[in-house]
Amino acid sequence: MSLLQEIERTFAEVSGVDQMKSYVQAALTEGTSPLQILQSMRQGLLTAGKKYEQGEYFLSELIMSGIMAQELSSMLKPYLQRDGGQFFARIVIGTVQGDLHDIGKNLVSTMLSSAGFEIRDLGVDVPPEKFVEVVKNDKPRIVAMSCLLTVAMDTMKNVMDRLVESGFRSGVKVLVGGRPITPEFVERIGADAYGEDAIEAVDVAKSALTR
Amino acid sequence: MNKKDRVMMTFDHEEPDQVPITEMAIDVVHLEKLAGTKLTADTSPQTQVTSDRRAEEDMVATTVLAYKKLGFELIPIELSAPDGWNPKRNPDGTISDEWGRLLSYDAKCRSWVSSGSVFSAPEDFERFPFPDPHAPGRTFAIEETKRRIGDEMVLGGWIKDPFATAWEMFKVTDFVRWLYERPNFIRQVIERIADFNIEVTKRIVDAKADLILCSGDYAEKKGPLVPVKFFKDVIFPNLQRQVGAAHRAGLKFIKHTDGNLNPIMEDLANIVDGLQSIDPTASMDISDVKRRYGDRLILIGNVSVDNLCTRTKEEIIQETKECLRNAAAGGGYMLSSSNSWYTDAKLENCLAMVDAGRKYGRYPITILD
Repeated sequence: MSLLQEIERTFAEVSGVDQMKSYVQAALTEGTSPLQILQSMRQGLLTAGKKYEQGEYFLSELIMSGIMAQELSSMLKPYLQRDGGQFFARIVIGTVQGDLHDIGKNLVSTMLSSAGFEIRDLGVDVPPEKFVEVVKNDKPRIVAMSCLLTVAMDTMKNVMDRLVESGFRSGVKVLVGGRPITPEFVERIGADAYGEDAIEAVDVAKSALTR
Repeated sequence: MNKKDRVMMTFDHEEPDQVPITEMAIDVVHLEKLAGTKLTADTSPQTQVTSDRRAEEDMVATTVLAYKKLGFELIPIELSAPDGWNPKRNPDGTISDEWGRLLSYDAKCRSWVSSGSVFSAPEDFERFPFPDPHAPGRTFAIEETKRRIGDEMVLGGWIKDPFATAWEMFKVTDFVRWLYERPNFIRQVIERIADFNIEVTKRIVDAKADLILCSGDYAEKKGPLVPVKFFKDVIFPNLQRQVGAAHRAGLKFIKHTDGNLNPIMEDLANIVDGLQSIDPTASMDISDVKRRYGDRLILIGNVSVDNLCTRTKEEIIQETKECLRNAAAGGGYMLSSSNSWYTDAKLENCLAMVDAGRKYGRYPITILD
């Protein structure tokens, strides 16, 4: 098995941070491209995600794969910058006001960062005015909002309203995600797209930029 | 038939005169509306945030009044913080509780909710002043409730599941990482919290509670939070020890947990006396649970808490009838929502559930349509 295959396997089998790091270090020493390593991670995460969907893996395994992805991102950061360091686009991300859950948001953030986006993470319980302020000052191409609680869904609508009122709506794509979010909800609040999970979020973000 | 007899017959898997009703918790905004009072004390759905006994007396009085107005048969009451204890107030506006959880204030729910942890490494736990189950005042609210209700209602004393406590006190991501990298550490922490619960159960018994309620989720919508093997190796043996402590005192043990429990239901049904939640939005089919485990497991819940927030009164009445139709026959079923009455639940829907429970929950159950 090649080192890239081993890296993919460590993510697919959620083998832990230490084992993953040793394979990644060996691959980097061999001169393997960081982007190829990220691709192996992505394949491995896809497999782990599918196993979770099928009930073979549990939430703790999904979270651990996210932790491994975060560690890999930190490890590759200097190499990615050396490769040119150009980001696809800047994304502002946060769990909306009324909700303090951040696992899903962190997973999405890590995946987007690994895929080459520049992330400005606002954390949890983010009020609508904060999203608008950051859009005004940082000029991101995408705003990504997350929530787990149904009670926080109203805040997403408030963010959309504030973006429209402030005149910044046309300058950004708005992505939403989280357990209670459905495509119907996305349409209702006038957002641009919806990601079912952290893996899908990357494709959704990339395609949103082309529309 | 009085309320206590109704519950006890239900818990003995016999049919009383009608299906008993309760809620495991009611958010402050609803409690105040129901009781017609105004509370000023800090509260939290997850932990103790004050040892101000005057404020706690007000909270107990309001809760008792609301539960009496609703005609509920069972009143669940939390443990108290020890006498003289106060949360540490941090510069960023958060507070730290007895278990090292950091809590932020949620203005909408008017309560403190878990948002972080004082632990950043397993070694921090060794230096942490572990809570004392025998600290004076631990059962203040339970004793105060007993003084107010006497034998009018069944009094349930809450403990919190060791797995859920550890999951929250370390933050989810650190818990998971240490579960992988330091599994013996996590096992020891859970054992130590279970020891705490066993000792505190004795205090709850001394305070004259009628049963033990155990909060803390085991699962989310898709399934258990951690692998089934971890449940079998660590969580369930410790659960068994806590249930044993309740049984030695002659008390039944009811486990609350949200989520899809199907992969662990067989083991769970062999350990606890009852299960609260049975969340229909998490693939928990109460008619299936009743068929498979109804002869030994008391079932409480199944009216979707999400639906209480979003649906109409008529839909809630229909859903309540379905729960009664699917689970009440033969006893062993108590009506409640699948979690609690959140701030965002429509109170008119909650009251519709109770009214429908009284109207259609008379034995023998004969619900047409």
